[in-house]
Amino acid sequence: MDHTLREFIRALRNAGIRVSVSESIDAINAVKLIGYAGKEDLKNSLSASLAKTIREKEEFDACFDRFFSFDSFSDPDMTATCDRTYDSRSRLSSMLLSGDRAGLISSMIQSARQMNIAGIQFQTQKSMYVMRVLNAMGMDGVDRDIRLLLEEGTPAAQWEAAELAEARKYLIENVRDFVEKYYELFSLSATDQVIENYLRNSRLTNMEERYLHRMQQIIQRMVKRLNDLHSRKKKASRRGVLDFKKTLRKNIAYQGMLFETMWKTKKIERPDIIAICDISRSVSRIVRFLLLFLYGMNEEIARIRTFVFCSSMTEVTHLFEEYPVDQALARIQNGAGLDIMMGRTDYGRSFLDFRDKGMGSVTKKTTVLILGDARNNFYDPRTEILKTISERCKRLIWLNPESRSFWGTGDSEMPRYAPFCSLVRECNTINHLEAVVASLLRIH
Amino acid sequence: MQAVKDHKFSSIENIQKEFKNAGYICNRRIATTVYLAYHLGKPVLVEGPAGVGKTELAKTTAVFTGVPLIRLQCYEGLDESKALYEWKYGKQLLYTQLLKDKLDRIILKEERLSESIDRLHRYDDIFFSPHFLEPRPLLKALQQEKGAVLLIDEVDKSDDEFEAFLLEILSDFQVSIPEIGTIECRTRPLVFLTSNNTRELSEALKRRCLHLYIPFPDATLEKEIIRIRVPGVSDKLQKQLVHFIQQVRNMEIKKVPSIGETIDWARVLLLLHSESLNPDLVRDTLHVILKYEEDIRIVQERIHPLTESAVRTSGG
Repeated sequence: MDHTLREFIRALRNAGIRVSVSESIDAINAVKLIGYAGKEDLKNSLSASLAKTIREKEEFDACFDRFFSFDSFSDPDMTATCDRTYDSRSRLSSMLLSGDRAGLISSMIQSARQMNIAGIQFQTQKSMYVMRVLNAMGMDGVDRDIRLLLEEGTPAAQWEAAELAEARKYLIENVRDFVEKYYELFSLSATDQVIENYLRNSRLTNMEERYLHRMQQIIQRMVKRLNDLHSRKKKASRRGVLDFKKTLRKNIAYQGMLFETMWKTKKIERPDIIAICDISRSVSRIVRFLLLFLYGMNEEIARIRTFVFCSSMTEVTHLFEEYPVDQALARIQNGAGLDIMMGRTDYGRSFLDFRDKGMGSVTKKTTVLILGDARNNFYDPRTEILKTISERCKRLIWLNPESRSFWGTGDSEMPRYAPFCSLVRECNTINHLEAVVASLLRIH
Repeated sequence: MQAVKDHKFSSIENIQKEFKNAGYICNRRIATTVYLAYHLGKPVLVEGPAGVGKTELAKTTAVFTGVPLIRLQCYEGLDESKALYEWKYGKQLLYTQLLKDKLDRIILKEERLSESIDRLHRYDDIFFSPHFLEPRPLLKALQQEKGAVLLIDEVDKSDDEFEAFLLEILSDFQVSIPEIGTIECRTRPLVFLTSNNTRELSEALKRRCLHLYIPFPDATLEKEIIRIRVPGVSDKLQKQLVHFIQQVRNMEIKKVPSIGETIDWARVLLLLHSESLNPDLVRDTLHVILKYEEDIRIVQERIHPLTESAVRTSGG
């Protein structure tokens, strides 16, 4: 397989484009057909065989431009002094002195390949690779030449030595750029994996802002997986086996002749969810991710109503109907335009509001999901309302972003609320969220 | 035949030229993909917003290659019996009735039951032979002697199961019918799948296809399309209406006008003998390019600046 293409495919994979073996074979065949001559055609045909979604096409374009722009040495300011020959010098020195850019490029690429530059993974390896590439190109020869010229001492030799030293600097610069570009292309994947693992398990509350976008991607992937999983289950539950007892009963009317067949069916449970979320500062970020999850699963969930509260409570379901999820979340996040007081968190008052606004829709089929840290600022906890909710609904799940050991300390009312919940969970990483959502969807 | 075809697909430029002759203006990217699809024998998955000429691409390819276009429209619930083949049950029943005497005679010769059954077994293949097979689009495409262009339209509307079922055909160009065996294609059809991206297609399907994304055309290309499809529209009007449409596409409306609608609009304006756009004319004909009451209202509010800017581009 073509070395350039192989490296390009690696670079694509690092950029997050999934390239299978069969696709790489297609790419090779396409290149055989098209050739490397026309850059535009090459790009189009590789794009057709390797990048298969709109997002991937964008990534592909960026990656292609970066990858195939390499083979250039920046314009040297050294002037090629043409008639002179540099037979006595090392090969690299003579190339530098005669300004043979093509030769330098090919030598650089060759050395880089020998040094397996595509294996570069970390920032810290950069200078090491620069050194290795330079050595493989024959840097020691250049150094020796400079030393010899200086020892020679004639003005001509002095001048040449200075020129060579200048060229040497220029060479180092170019190799450094070259390695830098390779680093950009190839380093991502190792760190990508590491980051994803780290993100999945790190606490959402102290997540850095710059990872948020990444998180969204991870969640989307998880949502897709959950959706796939449960749509399959849904289909399986549609199929049934013959329900013999039912068939017999049904056909008594026909004197026991089995005319009509009855099939066993599983009940599909599409949960009806009421989410009650604390959007005070300490919890708001997790709310964001939980809602991202829930609204992503809307195919599997019959109905979601969302309430948010801080000092008081209001319903925000309509926001999700009017705006795309991202925008709705942004609106909730800053609390602007919501009919809500953003003072100190008051669970008691909020539950009171819920009793007036939302209790009517809590039925035996509803799952009530409360997300909050239960830090009530020493207000009245109004546990009796929670008790009513728990009696009316099918399941009451409380998700608390704090670690279990902190529950009940200070103004945390968790121990008082917990007895009324059918499930109490610590929930502060994406993995926790996934587990919760998956348990909501389980078929009983 | 093959030589003629090979000649037509000999280079990317050639394809682009021939497409233009057939009335389909395409950029180099599209031509490159068709070129690859032909030479690598791979299906092409075409994605893009509605009305950018995805289906048209397949139709034009069929015209240009001179082979029949076989079209399979996908929808929810589409299954094998509608896409691949079905037994002609009626014919089978009719024939068994007609041949009843014959069958009786065959069976009568034997004394014992098991022998009659053995005897019958020798004939049962008759009723499950190609004579009783009703080929549906996919099978038909495989059976074409001279090849075909197979268009699997809106594959995103079909179910996951159907997508999985397509895999065998798309990678090996063969189907297995349990009663008969595996049917291989005579000449590889050129396959186009189109998708409007209403759902994400499976990785496996994408892996087997070349992927082509057709966005809305830029102004130059769209003008070219109008010039070819609606000859007679003046140069000035062409510029104006394309500019107008391109502006509308950037607005936040429910359904942006497609190329088809641009062409329709050009035809309407031609019928009305208009030489240049003006707000009244645009207001009267807006329903040609916009199909929602709400959209029409949004555009109407801004009709003056839009028209002015369009008129300005043509230098009039």
